[in-house]
Amino acid sequence: MRPIIYIATLLATTLLTACIGGSGTTAATTSPPASTPNTLALTVDSGPAAATGAINHAYATVKVCVPGSQTKCANIDHVLLDTGSWGLRLVGSVLTANGVTLSAEIDSQGSAIEECVTFGGGQTWGPVALADVSLAGESAAKLPVQVMDDAGTGAPPPATCGAGGTLINGVSGFSANGVLGVGVFAQDCGAACVNAAAPLPIYFGCTTAGLCTAENAALSAQVTNPVAMFAADNNGIIVNLPNLQNANGDITVQGELIFGIATQTDNPLPTTGLTVLGANSSGDFSATYNGSATVLPALIDSGNDSYAFDDPTIAVCASGAFVGYYCPAVAPQAAFTVNTGVGMNNATNTMDFAIADPNTFVANAAAFIDLAGGGGSTSFTWGMPFFYGRKIYIGIDQRVAGIYTGPYYAY
Amino acid sequence: MTICSAKCAFLLAACAINPLWAVSARAALGSDAASVLADGVSMHAGVHVDIRQQYDVHEISAATGVSVREYLNRDGIVFAVSWSGPVPPDLQRLLGMHFTAYAAALTALSHPGIHRSVRLTSTGLVVELGGHLRAYTGRAYVVALVPSGVSAAELR
Repeated sequence: MRPIIYIATLLATTLLTACIGGSGTTAATTSPPASTPNTLALTVDSGPAAATGAINHAYATVKVCVPGSQTKCANIDHVLLDTGSWGLRLVGSVLTANGVTLSAEIDSQGSAIEECVTFGGGQTWGPVALADVSLAGESAAKLPVQVMDDAGTGAPPPATCGAGGTLINGVSGFSANGVLGVGVFAQDCGAACVNAAAPLPIYFGCTTAGLCTAENAALSAQVTNPVAMFAADNNGIIVNLPNLQNANGDITVQGELIFGIATQTDNPLPTTGLTVLGANSSGDFSATYNGSATVLPALIDSGNDSYAFDDPTIAVCASGAFVGYYCPAVAPQAAFTVNTGVGMNNATNTMDFAIADPNTFVANAAAFIDLAGGGGSTSFTWGMPFFYGRKIYIGIDQRVAGIYTGPYYAY
Repeated sequence: MTICSAKCAFLLAACAINPLWAVSARAALGSDAASVLADGVSMHAGVHVDIRQQYDVHEISAATGVSVREYLNRDGIVFAVSWSGPVPPDLQRLLGMHFTAYAAALTALSHPGIHRSVRLTSTGLVVELGGHLRAYTGRAYVVALVPSGVSAAELR
């Protein structure tokens, strides 16, 4: 018996109307023939050898070179595909071990630019550096990336970054050699880090003595989504992962990350059946869950291993390999109903999904559908289980693909 | 909207003249109103107090866009905090004496990864984290300190 709870969720997309037909000059509706190789392999497995145990992590291999060099290059495997962040972050010790040393960018005061970014409850810390990055046949020259300083070669993080043991810089923290943030924005912080009177504690200038002070960073200096810097195929991505072969878990899954939307013959927009969810200036769309009046910020997030939401009626696993995830023990319940009365002027869509008891899952598998966790009541996340068996389209802010202008999520 | 009510002005004064309060004003969750003011000072922001039937909500809105709400029960103890903004608040400060339990629960999560949205529980403490670059949200509460009849859904 594999207990499954079927859950209906209502999506309310606040910006959909603004996204459709918003541009006076329409993009070409006929796609040009495929030219640049724009497809990068994705693999779901248990992670890099140094830190296995990952579940529902989709990995890509990223080619990184010292800017301008043809020889100081490395193919970094097991970089985590993350549609919930923007910008490439690589573990410093992995780069070093592969013979690539990237130099920190220097600000106008002569200080090294370093960055603190929060992922869940933890922080990454390390310098911003330029790199020539290649993904399939696409390239982004002098791309600002973050080097996660796990070896502590640069300035130590300020007190507010990673305090209390929450630094997650190394391979083991993410079970990855880096994070490939290819979500809906070009820059990781955006305007909020450009002209703030009190700079956000994200970008820092660090003196050679190791004293770091928060400072603003121009858009061009911020860690940047590599897709946004491609010469073409730069309006978004399509994540294409197949359905699992075993409903209770696969050891590995092979899929692809396609660059560009409606730019080549291999990445057209479907003419029918596409659900488009416009995102706001934070990158979220909005959702309500099971008839609750509470509107939650929501994300389609390959960086999260499960559906994450709050439902106190579903049991939480107290033991086993999935402590903290949901362990539903009951058959489908009639109590799960959809509230259709949310918001004003919202395009709405209902999305059903199922969650299963993970204790029925295949041991040692790395890919699981129907996995959910108690994500808390402040947001709703469609994590990796949602990606299996469908194409997910992610449109970058202000970039046009057919009749749609980013930021949006579509499937 | 009053930025600093008479009550909060009193607390400011009390904080200034009473060094013991000043010393205790190091943490928020599980601590007292003076700690909320200290949090406001640390965020370079005033504290707006909203008095409700069973508890008071002290809201700190910083120029950075970070907003923190601290919920005080009738004993004057902060039983819950919530936040939103382009960066999370200083959780070590905001969770105070409960930070260690939070960090331990975070480390104990059963699979490595980003855990972008997560609910952590630890001996009567609940911490919920959500969000991503540009928009972080979260809340934390101490179950035993929540006034009877108050639903967790109100604390956001």
